[in-house]
Amino acid sequence: MLLTGQDNEKAVIKELMKTIGSERSELIPLLLAYQDEFGYVSEFAMQYIADQLKIPANEVYGVATFFHFINKQPKGKFIIRLSRDMSSIMKGAKSVARQLRNDLGIRIGETTPDGMFTLEWTSCIGMNYQAPAMMVNNEVFSNLTPPMVHRIIEECRQEVRTRRPTVGNVGETFSSILSYSSHAPNSALTRAVEEMTPVDVASELTVSGLKGRGGAGFPTGVKWSLASKAEGDVKYIICNADEGEPGTFKDRVLLGKYADLVFEGMTLAGYAVGAREGIVYLRYEYTHLRPHLEAVLEARRQANLLGENILGKDGFCFDIRIHMGAGAYVCGEETALIESLEGRRGEPRNRPPYPVEKGLHGRPTVVNNVETLATASCIIARGVNWFTSIGTERSKGFKLFSVSGDCERPGVYELPWGMTVRQLLELVDGVGAKAVQVGGYTGELVPASQFDRVMGYEDLGIGGSIIVYGQGRDMLEVAENYLEFFVEESCGQCTGCRIGNQKLLDGVRLLQKGTCSNRYLNDLIGLSHSIKSTSKCGLGQASPNVFVAINEHFKEEIMARPVLAA
Amino acid sequence: MNDKPMQTATHSHSTFIPGPDAAMIDISIDGIELKVAQGTSILDAARQVGVRIPTLCHHDDLCTAGVCRICVVEVEGARTLQASCATPVTQPISVKTNTPKVRSARRHIIDLLLAEHYGDCNTCKRNNNCELQSLAAEYGVDFYRFGHPTEPKYAIDRSSPSIVRDMNKCVLCRRCVRACEELQGVGCLTVASRSSRAHVATFASKPLANVVCINCGQCINHCPTGALTELDQTDEVWTMIEDPTKHVVIQTAPSPRAGMGECFGLEPGTPVTQQLNTALKRVGFDAVFDTNHTADLTIIEEGTELILRLYKALVEKDESVKLPQFTSCSPGWVKYMEHFHTNRLDHLSSAKSPQQMFGSLLKTYYAEKKGVDPADMVVVALMPCTAKKFECNRPEMNSSGFKDVDYGLTTRELAGMIKESGIDLPKLPEAPFDAPFGEASGAGAIFGATGGVMEAALRSVIEMVTGKQVEDFYDHANILPVRGIEGARLAEIPITEVGPVPDLLKHLVPNWDWLKGATLKVGVVHGTANAKQVMEDIEAGGPFSECHFIEFMACPGGCLGGGGQPIPTSPEIRAKRSQAIYQIDANYAVRKSHENPMVLQLYQEFLTDGPCGHISHHHLHTHYQARGKFIG
Repeated sequence: MLLTGQDNEKAVIKELMKTIGSERSELIPLLLAYQDEFGYVSEFAMQYIADQLKIPANEVYGVATFFHFINKQPKGKFIIRLSRDMSSIMKGAKSVARQLRNDLGIRIGETTPDGMFTLEWTSCIGMNYQAPAMMVNNEVFSNLTPPMVHRIIEECRQEVRTRRPTVGNVGETFSSILSYSSHAPNSALTRAVEEMTPVDVASELTVSGLKGRGGAGFPTGVKWSLASKAEGDVKYIICNADEGEPGTFKDRVLLGKYADLVFEGMTLAGYAVGAREGIVYLRYEYTHLRPHLEAVLEARRQANLLGENILGKDGFCFDIRIHMGAGAYVCGEETALIESLEGRRGEPRNRPPYPVEKGLHGRPTVVNNVETLATASCIIARGVNWFTSIGTERSKGFKLFSVSGDCERPGVYELPWGMTVRQLLELVDGVGAKAVQVGGYTGELVPASQFDRVMGYEDLGIGGSIIVYGQGRDMLEVAENYLEFFVEESCGQCTGCRIGNQKLLDGVRLLQKGTCSNRYLNDLIGLSHSIKSTSKCGLGQASPNVFVAINEHFKEEIMARPVLAA
Repeated sequence: MNDKPMQTATHSHSTFIPGPDAAMIDISIDGIELKVAQGTSILDAARQVGVRIPTLCHHDDLCTAGVCRICVVEVEGARTLQASCATPVTQPISVKTNTPKVRSARRHIIDLLLAEHYGDCNTCKRNNNCELQSLAAEYGVDFYRFGHPTEPKYAIDRSSPSIVRDMNKCVLCRRCVRACEELQGVGCLTVASRSSRAHVATFASKPLANVVCINCGQCINHCPTGALTELDQTDEVWTMIEDPTKHVVIQTAPSPRAGMGECFGLEPGTPVTQQLNTALKRVGFDAVFDTNHTADLTIIEEGTELILRLYKALVEKDESVKLPQFTSCSPGWVKYMEHFHTNRLDHLSSAKSPQQMFGSLLKTYYAEKKGVDPADMVVVALMPCTAKKFECNRPEMNSSGFKDVDYGLTTRELAGMIKESGIDLPKLPEAPFDAPFGEASGAGAIFGATGGVMEAALRSVIEMVTGKQVEDFYDHANILPVRGIEGARLAEIPITEVGPVPDLLKHLVPNWDWLKGATLKVGVVHGTANAKQVMEDIEAGGPFSECHFIEFMACPGGCLGGGGQPIPTSPEIRAKRSQAIYQIDANYAVRKSHENPMVLQLYQEFLTDGPCGHISHHHLHTHYQARGKFIG
């Protein structure tokens, strides 16, 4: 019997459901897996998947249109996604883009007529220290130059002719991750299982003063103990590996080099909280890490570090699975991440209730950043005193910093809290900078006059992304880039964030043209404060920071543009 | 007799419903001290002490969204402002709702919404009844601080016979999305895309006519602006009225009488039946009729169909008979079935809705009596419903040889025509319905409220089967077990005695002995989300599958909460309209369908082979179409 196209699609979907599952929570993995087969998700597939999951087809459409990496139309065989974070722009991403456009004969956002290549900008792909960088399908290429991308395009064409896969080309990252590299494998887990009760683990972390390394800075031990006290037999540990903050790549390096440490931390959390299931929410851009992570997990299962009665401890059962994101910065926000894990649009929830009470599937859930979990392992292994002896009074321990931009030695640095921006610049050889972005796009833009400010929760305590701006950098270009990012990545729920950021971006463009009045600039500053104070999640609460900062620190520069002819 | 709600409404009234034993917490709002149950939202707490916090995305019918952020307040100790609709009280707090920061933030949000809102208030159907417009006035918007669009972003979707979507006026409050999903369980609307491109969309952004929409209009009723409106047909109706060659008649459903007053400043729940008759004559209709007549006729036809099904199933042991029988007078519900439960279309009564029955009778029986050529006759229906527009356009609805009903107008559209005619409805004298139909029964009137069809049916069935008066069993013939507001409820009516078969049904069943000692199990369901649950229950063999007869109404509250009724709507407003409907019923001289003299006259003069006979089948019954969920 001849199969119609739709019969074939149905058969594929049914087959995928057998391996992936047929619950609503598997919606995004199903869409991605289907897309792997067919290149995009057809309208029929959305309806059929919806029917199978017993949800309205339109909900699938709503989800599919939310995420960047779910294609609603056929795209090229090779999808080229060029990172447009500020570090990439500074290092020549625009000339790389020009080369790609010329080679392919298409504009950004288009597909070549032969269906071979699609060209797109994408948000940061975690390669800022080797900028510019791009992804060709799931392979990553860094330190790009125009001649290089010309060659990569040729290789892709070769691949079709020779069936030889195009392999990504990522350089080694400079890293000084001392604590992690000297960690005795699984020493924390062994100590916990042998010497400590679950309550001990959480309280030792509380005493250590470890705060969430994702940016929000919530005390990790408190989070674990709240979740452990929360009512419910089913609890979840989620590792937030949706590292989307532009300029941040430390989680990628950690997962690449020290995945064991992260999984050990998740297992510890499972022990402390009483959870049996751990989920790594891995951003789509890090798909290339997945085989490695799966291998590490399998090895841990073999070694009884995961599974039933871990390390011989009766009743201590915990396992970890990997769940891929689908391209949404906002899913780094823990409640948006949970929504996405449940197969919904990645829109942050109203809080309270907090995830520790009602998280994934309404169950108590701990969401921790990759680095937080790795650090927790080190603390439990070496003890509180070791950790608290590092850092400052209010900021205990050390932190990983992803450094990129105008400096000689970009990379991942493990540093104690309490250094000044100036000391950091000396370390990475970025002396003479005009400004430094501390904490990613949502952090603070620190002008040279404030380089004595301290990196620690008492001052600049957010995130670990450092972008150095040299003297020649145009602060309006910086602000434009940031705001383009936030406009694109806003989930679109809150009025201020959805429309307001666009108004700020328009304002930056007026400033660039020299046609923004002082009065309107003041209106926009007022608007910035309202966006910050009325938004539901950290994205909207921080997105106007750059606008406020350039007005505060670089007013003369931004108001001094010659008026451009219309 | 028991009235156990086996299933309750699926949607929660709000995200925060404090339990009965919730702790009481001391809070202060603008310096006013009060105690509230733990879990109460700040918004609800403020309402308790008369502090008005503006809202836009909040609606009493819907779950909390917390997306517009207009209701932000300052909570002492919080870093940012908090959305009062989405923030439950969990500890003693001090709230300030009126500070410069709060006012500035609210004004900014309004400014931003206006910067995206394309459309002119003067040409908008929601002019003077628009929440965005009111907010702009309240917060003193005197210029477009962040600009104002000069061009539309979206094409207006006029594809649907019922609903017009102008997304240029949308403020992304998502009330339509939630109404469609939470109240109606349809999920026709969703938020698609994200960031500034986020918009409310149908599946794959297809025209509304081509997607799975049941035309109920709950999205319209819950929209704060003019982004969603009914397809306005008043111009066509005006043209017909002005055409001297046309005989234009209007039939009016019960619910508009209970709601129309709201459009003229009357309190919800003020019935205006007789004034409305005067108004319609003054507007220019040649005759005004009461749809209740065909509601009564529906009871006889649908009731007979039920008796036949029961007889076949119980006496003749015919296993092909489908039970429970479902009512079919709500066109939104019917289309829901055609999309989602194509395997159970046989359960739907084949009886047409009262609107369509009347249309067919008007263009045949009445046309002949009146000596009017049906080709020159225009039948307009005043309905609380947008799905009725779709229903009258169904191609099979032409048993008179013409389109049986030409136009379905909503309560809102007709209110517009009355206003345009310079008529002050509340001050009008009263007038009766026109001959030959005259006044109908109260049983027809309660069709407007959830449980009404069932109550009307039971009033007739009980009398026809027992030969006694309903009043012998229920005070004042008010069958309270089927009344109520639960989304889905069950009732059992034991048949302890039987009487002789009335003349009307003699040709169908020999006697009632087979019903003696039986218990009639009935269900009443309103709001399509509840209907969805009940259908699942039936599929799973639950208590509703044991029913003999179930009344389904697509809209919350039944027709009185229909998508064509005045805006705003809320549980309180619907409760008042419901009171009005039962008050109208109580005032009727005849309150049982089978006692409606016009109905009996019809069976003597026109539908001469009786209920469910060939003639009645031709004029009063229909069939359904399996549409399915998949669209091309």
